[in-house]
Amino acid sequence: MLPITKELGKAAQKIHDPNMKNASPGKRTSSAKTKTQSQGRPPRSVIHPIIIYPFQQPSDSLDLGPLYELVARLNARKDVYSRPITVIDRKTHEVNAQKTEYVEFRKKTVSAHSDILDVWCVDTCQMWYSGLGFASERGGPSDVYWLIPGDFNYGSTIGREVLSRLHDLPEICVELEQDLCIGEIPTDHGNSKQLIDTYGTFALLYNWFPEEAREIRQYTERPRSEFFAIRHGFLKEMLLRRWYAHEQTVVILLHAIFSRKNISRFLVGHITDLPEGSDTLASALQQVERTERVLRSVWLERHKNIPDWIGRFRMLEIQSEQAVRTSLNILQNLLP
Amino acid sequence: MQKSRYSADRNVQAYYFVCDAPIAQIVSVVGDFNKWNPSLHRMEKTPGGTWSKRIELRHGHHRYAFMVDGDLRLDPTAMGITKDDRGRRVSIVPIS
Repeated sequence: MLPITKELGKAAQKIHDPNMKNASPGKRTSSAKTKTQSQGRPPRSVIHPIIIYPFQQPSDSLDLGPLYELVARLNARKDVYSRPITVIDRKTHEVNAQKTEYVEFRKKTVSAHSDILDVWCVDTCQMWYSGLGFASERGGPSDVYWLIPGDFNYGSTIGREVLSRLHDLPEICVELEQDLCIGEIPTDHGNSKQLIDTYGTFALLYNWFPEEAREIRQYTERPRSEFFAIRHGFLKEMLLRRWYAHEQTVVILLHAIFSRKNISRFLVGHITDLPEGSDTLASALQQVERTERVLRSVWLERHKNIPDWIGRFRMLEIQSEQAVRTSLNILQNLLP
Repeated sequence: MQKSRYSADRNVQAYYFVCDAPIAQIVSVVGDFNKWNPSLHRMEKTPGGTWSKRIELRHGHHRYAFMVDGDLRLDPTAMGITKDDRGRRVSIVPIS
C-alpha cells in the first residue's frame, strides 16, 4: 500500500460533509470475485471502472447524464464489474457545494451508481493516481482497471456511440490477456491534439527514447490518450514508481515497452474534450513543454546510474530544446 | 487464453473480412479462431480486386491478420492492434 494513497484516504475520511461520501478501501469485495473464489475455481477477472469527474462542473448534465447512464449499467452488472469509483477533486466540490444542480446530481446520480472518492488533487494525473490506487486496493491479480475521463462530449451522437464502445478496452485486456489497452481517438491530420502529438510529443519521444518511440507508434498515434485499461500487476508496478504530474499515459506506455508488456490499441471513436474543438497555441505550448519535462525526468531516472550519463543528457537536452522550438514554430503556423 | 465471459459461448455472429490486394494470388484470414492456419479460411477474390471471407465468430475480441501470398498483413480498417503469441503485429476485431 502506498503511503500517499493511505494519507489521501485518511484525509478524505476526516471530512464531515453530509454531501460527501468516502468509500472505505478494502471493505467491499465484488460479488463476482467472492462467488468464484468460494467455488474453488481460478479467480475470474473483475473489471474496475474509475470515472474521473470533470474539474469544472458543467452547466448542464447533457454530457454527464449519458456517462452516468453507462455507469449505472456497469454498476448493475456485478458479475463483470466492481462497483464503479468516481474521483472528485475537493476543489470541484468546494466551489459547487452550494449549487443545487451539482448537489442533486452528485447525490441522486453519481453516488447512486458509484462510490465517490473525494480527494484533494493538484491535477488530473493525481486524480488518476488516487482513483487507480484506491481501486487497486480492492482488486486482485487477475483484475483490470478501466479509466474513464468525465469531461468529454458524451451527450453528442458520436459521444453516445463512443460510450457504447468503451467497454471494449477492459474486455480486450481480459480476453486477449493484455497488460494495457489504449483507447485511441481517430482524428484528421489538422486536429490540434494530433498536431501537438505529431510535432511535439513524438518529436520529443524520438529524441529521448527513439527505440521505444518507434514501438509506441506501431500501436498508437495518440500516446497521451486519457482512455485506457490496465491489468492489476502492471498497474501495481506503475503505482509503486514515481508518478508524474503530467502526461502519465506516455510514461505508462514507455514502461510497458521497457518491460515488454502486452499492449493493444483500440479505436474508441471521434470524441473531444475541447469546448471549441481546438487547442490554442498557448495551450499547445504548455502541453509540449510538459511532455518535455516528463521525458527528461524519465530519462534521468533510467540513466542516472550509468557512467557518463551527464554527457549524453546534455546532448539530448540540447536536441530536445531544438525539438520544442521547432514544434512551436510549426504549431504557431497551424493553430489559432 | 481466457474465454469470453461476456456472453454465452454459443453466441456466434457472421463477420465479413475484406482485404484489398488486387495483384495477390492467394489470400487467407488467419487468427486465434483458426489457430493461425492459412489453409482454413481462404478468401475469395471479387471482380473489383478485393478479397472477402465470411466467418462465424464467437462474441468477444479476436486477433487476426491477412496472409497475402505468404506474408502477414494487418487490416488497415481494423478497430484495434495488438501482437500475436509470436510477437507479430496483428489486428483486433470485436464481435458483439
